Amino acid sequence: MSAVTRLLIAALGGEGGGVLSGWVVAAAQAQGHAVQATSVPGVAQRTGATTYYVEIGKRDKKGAAPVFALMPVEGGVDVVVASELLEAARMVERGFVTPDRTFLLASTHRVLTVPEKSARGDGTANADTMMRSLEKCSKERFLFDMAETRQQVGTIVNSVMLGAMAGLELLPISKENYLEAMQGTAGSAANLRGFEAGFAIATGEREAPQAGDPKRAPRPMAADPLAARVAGMPEGARDVVRIGVGRLIDYQDVDYARLYLDRLQPFMESGPLLRELARHLAVRMSYEDIIRVAQLKVRPERFSRIRSEIGIDGTEPFEVVDFFKPGIPELADLLPPALGRRLLAWAARAPEKRGYNIGMKVKTTSISGFLRVWLLARMRFWRRRTLRFAEEQAQIEGWLKLVERAQARDPALAREVADLARIVKGYGDTHRRAVTTYRDLVERVVDPALSGDGTGKGVARRLKEEISQVLATH
Amino acid sequence: MERSFSEEIKLLSAGKGEVFRGEGILAITKGLLQSGVSYVGGYQGAPVSHLLDVLVSAKSYMEELGVHVEACSNEASAAAMLGASQVYPMRGAVTWKSIVGTNVASDALSHLASGGVKGGALIIIGEDYGEGSSIIQERSLAVALKSSMWLVDPRPNLTSMVDMVEHGFALSEASNTPVMMQLRIRACHVQGEFVARDNVKPKIGGIHKLAEPAAFSYDRLAHPPSTFVHEHAKVSDRRPAAQDYIRKHKLNEVFKGTRNAPLGLILQGGLYNTVMRQLCELGLADDYGNSALDLLVLNVTNPLVGDEIEDFCRGKDAVLVIEEGTPEFLEQQILKIVTRAKLKIEVCGKDFLPEAGEYNGQVVAKGVAAFLGAHKKKGLALAGAGRHVKKVEEALAIGAKALGGPVLPRPPGFCTGCPERPVFGAIKLAERDLGKVHVSSDIGCHSFATFAPFSLGNSIMGYGMSLASMAAVAPTQQRRSIAVMGDGGFWHNGLQSGVMSNLFNKGDGVLVIMQNGYTSATGQQDHMSSAHFAPVVGDKLDADIETTLKAVGVKWLRTVRTYSVEKMVHTLKQALTTAEKGLKVIIADGECMLVRQRGIKAERARLLKEGSRAEQEKFGVDDEVCVNDHPCVRLSGCPSLTTKPNPDPLRSEPVAHVNQDCVACGLCGEMAHAAVLCPSFYRAKRIYNPGKLETMVHRLRQTVISSLSKVAA
Repeated sequence: MSAVTRLLIAALGGEGGGVLSGWVVAAAQAQGHAVQATSVPGVAQRTGATTYYVEIGKRDKKGAAPVFALMPVEGGVDVVVASELLEAARMVERGFVTPDRTFLLASTHRVLTVPEKSARGDGTANADTMMRSLEKCSKERFLFDMAETRQQVGTIVNSVMLGAMAGLELLPISKENYLEAMQGTAGSAANLRGFEAGFAIATGEREAPQAGDPKRAPRPMAADPLAARVAGMPEGARDVVRIGVGRLIDYQDVDYARLYLDRLQPFMESGPLLRELARHLAVRMSYEDIIRVAQLKVRPERFSRIRSEIGIDGTEPFEVVDFFKPGIPELADLLPPALGRRLLAWAARAPEKRGYNIGMKVKTTSISGFLRVWLLARMRFWRRRTLRFAEEQAQIEGWLKLVERAQARDPALAREVADLARIVKGYGDTHRRAVTTYRDLVERVVDPALSGDGTGKGVARRLKEEISQVLATH
Repeated sequence: MERSFSEEIKLLSAGKGEVFRGEGILAITKGLLQSGVSYVGGYQGAPVSHLLDVLVSAKSYMEELGVHVEACSNEASAAAMLGASQVYPMRGAVTWKSIVGTNVASDALSHLASGGVKGGALIIIGEDYGEGSSIIQERSLAVALKSSMWLVDPRPNLTSMVDMVEHGFALSEASNTPVMMQLRIRACHVQGEFVARDNVKPKIGGIHKLAEPAAFSYDRLAHPPSTFVHEHAKVSDRRPAAQDYIRKHKLNEVFKGTRNAPLGLILQGGLYNTVMRQLCELGLADDYGNSALDLLVLNVTNPLVGDEIEDFCRGKDAVLVIEEGTPEFLEQQILKIVTRAKLKIEVCGKDFLPEAGEYNGQVVAKGVAAFLGAHKKKGLALAGAGRHVKKVEEALAIGAKALGGPVLPRPPGFCTGCPERPVFGAIKLAERDLGKVHVSSDIGCHSFATFAPFSLGNSIMGYGMSLASMAAVAPTQQRRSIAVMGDGGFWHNGLQSGVMSNLFNKGDGVLVIMQNGYTSATGQQDHMSSAHFAPVVGDKLDADIETTLKAVGVKWLRTVRTYSVEKMVHTLKQALTTAEKGLKVIIADGECMLVRQRGIKAERARLLKEGSRAEQEKFGVDDEVCVNDHPCVRLSGCPSLTTKPNPDPLRSEPVAHVNQDCVACGLCGEMAHAAVLCPSFYRAKRIYNPGKLETMVHRLRQTVISSLSKVAA
């Protein structure tokens, strides 16, 4: 057994990793140990990944401290503490978490890296793989959501980490000495709350925060005139269809929801495809025009969500300002097709007009602001007469035809064609570019496959790849 | 400044026998005071920033000691400051980040080294080859060698480091030569302890001033023909004097091995702890520094002392020189020494160790194991060594296998709410209309724009060098080019090297100066125009970038608030397309958010404490309105603007989300407008301790709104 206990702390710049390592050093000194800590902050102090390394040792008979190392070595770390899941995985990757030696204390929450969050689709790294690697590579481990914990008690994450370290007795340091070390640091009351929470979770006296279901329950429907038809849908898709119907009644009216069901009719026998199609179709049919955005913005439940986000539980005053910037395309969207097209053609002739738009900051918690948005939301009756409605319906019909034709040839291809719906999204320019990409993919990949003699898995796979490529674009 | 140093200042006044517990670089600072320095100067940069920061903060204590402290405008002025020790018998120290800072300082350093010094002159530099190194990996030893300055590379524990500071001054005086002291990042930040000595008031300084200047002496001047004499003195007088001092005071340390094996290790002092730990892991040492092998630890890497090397090598079959960085100057010199001494010994080094890269534990373990394997000796069991090397390799393999692919990198980036982020979003938007332009980057926080999501920047040529490095690019581009520079870089070098050269040559191009008020990347030190944002704090200068630029003749000059994205896009487009010739400067104005938030948070805490009205704002995204396409992230990259799982049961892709760290800088709203993004963003304001009228108005509004809402349903 080595005379030196080795602790590696992995954190992000700004999380107080340096303060944490300072607490450990002070606590170890109070305990009478020889201790050394070091770090490589450099520019990593700014939100980048960074590490702090601490060694705690016994003095020899003459009172001399061991020769401490200034950096960890692969396979030679006793305790790794990581403030975030990907950073814990990074410690695994770098060989600092090993099955014969390392106790891993890590948070299970994610702070996404830029490439993960800037992808057009879902660029998030696979959390299951990371979790499995932590379990596989550590000797022992204690993993919980420290971000949620620190949020609950209102502090920064470093004190939670220290508390958990103390509760798990990872280092030869008493709780009193840890607490003593935290005294006199800025924000000591909040630190203490974090410490106690981390300690209690580690000792099992407090429950670790559980991840809730991220999905929100759909809005309750006032009446459900299409219940019988929904009940007649195949079981595998019924729940999604029910949500879709509710969404479209709310979006437009019962007729529109009926159209949704009619559109699904040809796919009743298509098995798993129906469910996916029902999902995509409901989203496509409830496309976000100004009227829809206004409708979503004036909902009471929206305001209560915002209130809870800024920490208001009573009736205290608060303000919400919304940012709108409708331009010529958005205006054209609302006009009858002929008029809308003429407006767009006029704007296209003079490129400088393309940029015409009205930037609006609307205080939706004021009466006049609310009223403006509320009136827009009342324009649902007008929607069926708009250019955007005509265009969307034509596009949806075209897409459904493609899915139907693909289904007749190759169910795998049909699923991918249905999935094409995912790339048609965005507002303004982004939306226009997305439509172009969609058309391009249809022309290049789907059309030839459907008009040719053979289809085969090759096309389905190719389309799948092309779709994920589009969605991975940054 | 980023940190408050009040605790550290207390540490600096520790007296004889007290135990100093703290960071390496502060121990060095304490060492300077114990050595009786008359003056300290420098330019900040990792990892040595704290040395100067703490002394600048300790102004009154420095006055009490009579020590002059100067926050120099760049490394050249810091190096020139050592001229005081060339002429007068007073000790002085300067500090900067090497190698880049040393390069900036080189002109003065050559003149300093030529004339030599009367008083001890110490140059404390940071150098590193590892993960924390933010600059080019080059050896400062090369500069020491070519200028005949001495280089100290102490063992990285506080006692050794402080001792070497004191010896450094004495060595400098004994040999009339400036001494450089090299510290790796981890040594600067190491938390440890040493027993303090009393601080010494300088014999010449703020308290004891000289009545008369030095007598005229042409011999001292670094000017021909004196320089020819200096050139000879360096090798015939100064070097032997230094070697005598090193030998006499045993600055280099020999640790006798317990096994009497005819093998030895010669290593740089700074690598001692890494090497010892690996010897321990290889089964060749204990935890307390008792090694099986003989060790020669070079705490001074220039000059080497020939007979010390000879003595160590005599009777050995082979030595391994463990020397970080390239070229292997020590190995070459040691080879020469043993060859001239006709010793039968094999000198190994970079044949067992890698030529480049940090000498971390893994590298040292493999190198030493390979060296020992090639020179098998009785009594040195190597089974443990093999096991250890295998274990290290397995540790890496296990992790890689479990993860199945590389973990995403997480480079540093702009802070939440940083005022510089919007400017790069604006450049991206301007490029959307005008096409890509050449962007010349600089050193500073703004160089984070070279990372995703901006990936902007075609070159980085040095601190304050962006405009100068565009001189030959701009004339060859059909579109105008942009140079980006911080205000720190502007005052460091950019005004002179960039702006003046451009104006003198009637150049063209666009210069964007990030005016955030501080030299932010190195820890928010003040500079010439810091008063722009904090006019009431301390005794700051009121120099002003705009006035300065006008004075040197810049005609096209606009100052734009960084967060005003639309205006910034418009101004950039104007600058890039105007028919007007000549340099076009945009001052992008926005205070460093870290500094601003410290003020805002303190003020809010004060208001809340006394029960007064206070506001807190944050941005948010309506997750039902967001269509999970994320162009907002691609134009911002703010840490608080992220994504979360989609709460909509019909959608699978993550929605944009503003987390609780948001400081409501306003960029999200501005970007939503300027880029015509989407209507998902809102700004919410919470009002603490509202007034009565405010509460009444709010209630009235809520009543009306909720009755309207019922109609909508």
